[in-house]
Amino acid sequence: MILFGYNTCMMRKHGFIAGILFLFIVLSLTGCSKNTSEEQKDIIRIGIAQDFDSLDPHHMQAAGTKEILFNVFEGLVKPTSEGEIVPAVASSVEKSEDGLTYTFTLRDGVRFHDGKDVTVNDVLYSFRRRMDGNDSAAKLASLSVIESIESQGNRIVIKLSQPSNEFLAAVMNVYIIPEGYSDLESFPIGTGPYMFKERVFQDSLELVRFDEYWGPSGKTESFIFRILESSDALILALQSGAVDLVVHLSSDQTKQLDSKQFDIVTGSMNLVQALYINNAVKPFDNVLVRQAMCFAVDRKAVIDLAFDGYGIILGTSMFPSFAKYYVDELTDYYQYNPQKARDLLKQAGYPNGFSMTITVPSNYTPHVNAATVIAEMLREVGIDASIQLVDWSTWLDQVYSKRNFQTTVTGVSSDNMTARKLLERFGSKTGNNFTNYSNADYDSILARALTEADDAAQTKLYKELEKNLTENAANVYIQDMADLVAVRQNVKGLVFYPLYVLDISTIYREK
Amino acid sequence: MKIILRLLLTMLLVSFLTFAAFEVVSGDPAQTMLGTEATQEQVEQLRSELGLDRPFIQRYFHWVSGIFTGDLGTSYSYKQPVSVLIGSKALVSLMLCLLSFAMIVAVSIPLGLVSYRHSGKVLNLIRSIINQLCMAVPPFFTGILFSWIFGIGLKLFIPGSAPGFIHLFFAALCIAIPRIAMTVRLLRSTVVSEMNKAYVRTAISRGNDRSAVLRKHVLKNSLVGVISFLGQTLAELVGGAIVVEQVMGIPGLGRFLVTSILHRDYPVIQAIVLILAFWVVLSGVIADLVNSAIDPRLKLAGEGREL
Repeated sequence: MILFGYNTCMMRKHGFIAGILFLFIVLSLTGCSKNTSEEQKDIIRIGIAQDFDSLDPHHMQAAGTKEILFNVFEGLVKPTSEGEIVPAVASSVEKSEDGLTYTFTLRDGVRFHDGKDVTVNDVLYSFRRRMDGNDSAAKLASLSVIESIESQGNRIVIKLSQPSNEFLAAVMNVYIIPEGYSDLESFPIGTGPYMFKERVFQDSLELVRFDEYWGPSGKTESFIFRILESSDALILALQSGAVDLVVHLSSDQTKQLDSKQFDIVTGSMNLVQALYINNAVKPFDNVLVRQAMCFAVDRKAVIDLAFDGYGIILGTSMFPSFAKYYVDELTDYYQYNPQKARDLLKQAGYPNGFSMTITVPSNYTPHVNAATVIAEMLREVGIDASIQLVDWSTWLDQVYSKRNFQTTVTGVSSDNMTARKLLERFGSKTGNNFTNYSNADYDSILARALTEADDAAQTKLYKELEKNLTENAANVYIQDMADLVAVRQNVKGLVFYPLYVLDISTIYREK
Repeated sequence: MKIILRLLLTMLLVSFLTFAAFEVVSGDPAQTMLGTEATQEQVEQLRSELGLDRPFIQRYFHWVSGIFTGDLGTSYSYKQPVSVLIGSKALVSLMLCLLSFAMIVAVSIPLGLVSYRHSGKVLNLIRSIINQLCMAVPPFFTGILFSWIFGIGLKLFIPGSAPGFIHLFFAALCIAIPRIAMTVRLLRSTVVSEMNKAYVRTAISRGNDRSAVLRKHVLKNSLVGVISFLGQTLAELVGGAIVVEQVMGIPGLGRFLVTSILHRDYPVIQAIVLILAFWVVLSGVIADLVNSAIDPRLKLAGEGREL
């Protein structure tokens, strides 16, 4: 009898669970009907693979954050898609004869997203915040050439301690923010064509058109950026219609998309992908070994095998979209020649090759794929290359910061459209020279280039630096990776920049 | 009282181990936050701002004392209080796990009994194939498959959009399927061995209906093992949730945990691990309580009395 009593209790429990399940099913069926009606609004949804780090324009570090907040913030000057620097919050820029004084005239009628006019005080505040840097991340090293900054009426006068051809590029990155505004992290305010509306951590961010923008206004009312870290989830979101546009896809990913629904637009990532070599450790301190590696790698095959043929072969630390600095003849300096590679290895004292490790950040599939192909090619000439996958934090710590590695595959870019960013890092004294490249000639040319006031002379020196890197086989330069963008076919107006930015103001949906 | 003590001790131990693990693993939050453009001084400065330059033990005690005052710390990457960040995510994950658990219980117990009653050679074979298949399919695969079939094909939900209930329902199903298969198999084999016991023979020989015996006596005795297993299942569901949240784009704790680990966002990692540890211990406790409610012998044993 007692047993029986328990039993009914159990049956009741079953009934309860069944009830819950029934409720769930009913709820799920009623839920079906709701998600069709809100398609009418003028919204374009963009899928992105990582969350934003900081919304404070002087604190953001992640390339993916800068790429999108480019639409919210502006500096006194800003870049165009042709790679020029044009006035933005300033209406004009004057440079003195000696190149030491810059005068910016504030543009009339530029407003912040909260409706207030931009004043010289806001500009001074923004500059000082980036120059002094009340905390680590805000300080912009490229502003260290500023000797003084002051306002004269509606003009800002900046005096430099030495002439600098890269100065305007630095000014471009000093985004103007309202003086004393302390809520940037949670509610950023800038002067750009789009303004911040809402952020849900780990999920989405919404930008809406700023109707009082001084320039040509955005073509679409609202953009929602959806964060989907998994590459499968990104592709599914495109296929399901949850997002209309995704940038930086691999060719494998784009192959999964229906070409009747999507256009695949190809741009360039503007980065130098290479097998970066730690020049300080044996056997890579021997130039013959490095040259052997350059001859051993068939760059075209790397691009064909790992990137379906998308990509531009490079021969030095520069890519063609920086046309002014690009030296085309360096591209074929090392023609694929495994026999020559073996000879050079013999000459260097490694007739039987050696073994080495390629340390690759596992979250960057393109680098992992390239490394896999490169390792095979190196094995052909007797170099036993193995691949070590590490996560991004470990890579930054061990490879980039502590330089505790042999070789790695990564991409190096320039976030301000200057050749300096790409070349200065190979100076033996430079802080972020993670390859430990050390060459006396290079150092002396670099020192001259950095202080050269004449633009043409400086360009020539930069080209010499590129040649130096190639001749000494500082690294095995591979390619400028292709940037594949999937766009739903009725979405138009995407423009590529020679910078890592996504300009949404020109994007619209065809009616 | 004992339970609470056990809970506290486990959580303390787990949090210490997580803390210690990230001491050993390379990767520095400051370096990760500042990226490749940062100078060494900037990294050092940020490290001291975050308090990372202090010794490990000191940081740990600081964190633990924060917990007792209800302060989970501030996320490195988001510069927001951790409690604010994880509140809504925890709710989503809780929903997902409970939904999944409800499916497991509601489907596997009746199915286990049915599969015992209807045995035959061919039927057994088919069942065992389906069962093996369900057990072997990893949730991330079903996640992608279901997104395809029910999301893109049948348009029941939109993969990649803000998840609604149906989205969660299918995600929960992905996590539940292998577990349902395991529970069914366990229940069936327990029932089989239970049916061969003397008391069943006695009950049937006294003229009781076979299925009534099954329902009234055998099921209850078989459930003890199954409920322990379900307790374990409840604990392990979070593992499945981590994977499925990634694949199906559900903003839950699991997805947050993975990105936080990649960014070395220690305060967030610690808080989530703490919640997961709590969940795991709690599942065990619930299973014990339910079991002792069904089977008083367990309760007596638990209180240290002889039978």
